[in-house]
Amino acid sequence: MKTVIIMLTGLALAGLSVDNARADAAAGKAAFDANKCNECHYTDGPAKEKTIDDVLAKKGPELWYAGSKFNADWLGGWLADPKPIRLLAYNSLKEKNPGDHPKLAAADAGSVRDFLMSLTSGDVEAGKVKAKKNPKGKLIFTKKMPCSGCHQYPDKDSAKGGISGPSLVEAGVRLNPDWILAYLLHPSVFKPVKDMPNFVGLLSDKDMLNVSRFVASFQPDK
Amino acid sequence: MKTKHIIFTVALVMTAMVGTAKAFAEDTEKVFQFYCAQCHGEKGDGLGVNVTKDFPVTPRAFNNADEMNKLTDADLRNVIREGGPIASKSEMMPPWGKTLSEADIDGLVKKLRDLCQCKGKQG
Repeated sequence: MKTVIIMLTGLALAGLSVDNARADAAAGKAAFDANKCNECHYTDGPAKEKTIDDVLAKKGPELWYAGSKFNADWLGGWLADPKPIRLLAYNSLKEKNPGDHPKLAAADAGSVRDFLMSLTSGDVEAGKVKAKKNPKGKLIFTKKMPCSGCHQYPDKDSAKGGISGPSLVEAGVRLNPDWILAYLLHPSVFKPVKDMPNFVGLLSDKDMLNVSRFVASFQPDK
Repeated sequence: MKTKHIIFTVALVMTAMVGTAKAFAEDTEKVFQFYCAQCHGEKGDGLGVNVTKDFPVTPRAFNNADEMNKLTDADLRNVIREGGPIASKSEMMPPWGKTLSEADIDGLVKKLRDLCQCKGKQG
């Protein structure tokens, strides 16, 4: 009898927790819309881009899988105090990033974070990638499939690499390591049209794992 | 029965397309500006925004007829599809064969010949 009561109490608490999470996400969606985030970012998947024009028409990245892509702590902090992730303005090869992404008030930042973290993709398998520097991943990143040509990365005391893609200097803080791998494995799910090569069929699953672990190891000032 | 067959065929084709290059061609100028300009420059002069002090090689300047004449159209097609090493060129040129359609690549080869105003080595 005692066991049954404990189990029922546990189930009730779990139910309350799910309800609370849903309520937080709903409040976050309201804050997302009230702050006009939806004017630049879409949050309903799957991916909508079918042509280059579709990509170039966007004002900001899609967020329909944000909960699988970002680390929650980083996301909450960034929404309250955004710093440029790209050196160039979104979808531009000419203009510098003006660094004018709107800041959210602390309460809204937490609320919007909860909403965005509720948006997940079934194509991201949890627990697959552990951040770790490794020579095979580094070789792929810097030479074999030269990610470094378009993405900055931390190298000793400075940032190196190209600037057309998002900076990966803080990738280990910003990104979920499992998403990095999923993005390489399933490019057509997350970005069906993008100015980065598809590596499916070119890199083995093991190579993709190694490069994901390497990218996930990037920390600022390390 | 016929409908089932068509549905099965369509599903099979769609499955085969996952993770492979897109099947349709885009406007060549758009393709060039979207995929190539970041390293080769908007004018194809090899001065793209990624060519910082860290970039280990100078990307091909497509307006250099002397250099472009050393390559056949097949060489250009292979490098775009397979990456620089296929023609003993730099690894910094990645393989685009799983990203671009064959029609996109054909369009780019013509675009490069327009930029160099040359016909290339006949092979």
